[in-house]
Amino acid sequence: MKRGPRILFGILACTIFLGCLTLAQQRTVRSAPAAADWAALAKLPDFTGVWEAGGGGGGGGAAPRGGAAGAAAPATAAAPRGGGAAPAAAGRGGGGRGATGPQLTPAYAAKAAARTSANAEDNASANCVPPGVPQIMGQPYPMEFLFTPGLVTIVIEAYTQVRHIYTDGRKLPDDPEPNFHGTSIGHWEGNTLVAETVGFADTPRGITFPFSEKMKVVERFQLTDPDTMTIETTIVDPEALTAPYSMGSRSLRRHRNWTIAEYVCQENNRNFLDNNGKAGIILANPGGAPR
Amino acid sequence: MKELLRSKAGPAAIALCLIVGFVSVALAHHSFSPFNMTESKVLLNATVKKIEWTNPHTWFWFDVPDGKGGTELWGAEGMSPNYLDRRGWSRNRLKLGDKLELTIHPMKNGDKAGMWMTAKRPNGEVLVMGGTITDP
Repeated sequence: MKRGPRILFGILACTIFLGCLTLAQQRTVRSAPAAADWAALAKLPDFTGVWEAGGGGGGGGAAPRGGAAGAAAPATAAAPRGGGAAPAAAGRGGGGRGATGPQLTPAYAAKAAARTSANAEDNASANCVPPGVPQIMGQPYPMEFLFTPGLVTIVIEAYTQVRHIYTDGRKLPDDPEPNFHGTSIGHWEGNTLVAETVGFADTPRGITFPFSEKMKVVERFQLTDPDTMTIETTIVDPEALTAPYSMGSRSLRRHRNWTIAEYVCQENNRNFLDNNGKAGIILANPGGAPR
Repeated sequence: MKELLRSKAGPAAIALCLIVGFVSVALAHHSFSPFNMTESKVLLNATVKKIEWTNPHTWFWFDVPDGKGGTELWGAEGMSPNYLDRRGWSRNRLKLGDKLELTIHPMKNGDKAGMWMTAKRPNGEVLVMGGTITDP
């Protein structure tokens, strides 16, 4: 081998080796669960099964019969950019239970004000882009909780989404990859599962205000009776928020005879959002696929 | 419930529940902006012609008398199968040829379609997309 190619080969090998080292540092190697790990799950509160957000999510018994409210519309997508709870400028209100909206620092209040006030209803959900964390947890469709050693998996029927909350003791990543639903790490405080989620992509489908890379969503899951679960959600962001933003508590009901149904949003989606951000409907080919 | 209706706060509470229910349903898979949500259009003698029992929405297509001796095709968007299955519906609840008095929020652009509000069969049965969960 001549000298040039040999040097190139060496550089390539070093690059691959260093790359592997970096990956190894970022990933937690999970050991095979032992019988004791499976047995330990039985001591946790029983979250298993299918849960539904009831009236708070737009479905359930609260949906009134007839009239406008009895009509169409899957999955809640509480307003992405420019919509949802109006962000408040710093210093206004006390930030109690989310009623006053997130209390933004001056810099982020300016960012919020600079956003175009697009019609909050005209959002990318029409193109089957799901809501993100934490809004994805409040859809008028159920979700299933699964426990395995070191991991809580949430299967969300709306848009067929899956969340992984690692409970194996790993730390929150210092420099997380930006993910649509972030990266979630959980731990138990007594009978409460506390999930912390960081590293959100700049596609704020679950957050209604401008946020920094330091934002963290904290969800506290607990059973208040055998078939009722509450999720308390708080957002902290030392750059964007002057105080933790409490989004309040959501209540879920367990349906022991339900299973998660299919929801492939792209199956027959006649809705769309055009290049100008306006929503429309394709009426072609009635009775078949719209295109 | 009767007590709630009699009390002064009752009607206000019920109205609030309806509004909250509506808002939460209205924040939807997609925008409602294609529909005129303040207008109701009643389609008499609508005959079911085609059914799309699909996600993310069901679609029902009807032959509706055009007033000139013929018919025109109208579409109505409904909730998704998984939502409806838990609320007293199934894919067999409506059959081709069934006749309904159908009320929709019509499209703003004049297209012959709308969002399903409510429907009534000749025997009086009412078909809505929301309602109480029937499967415990």
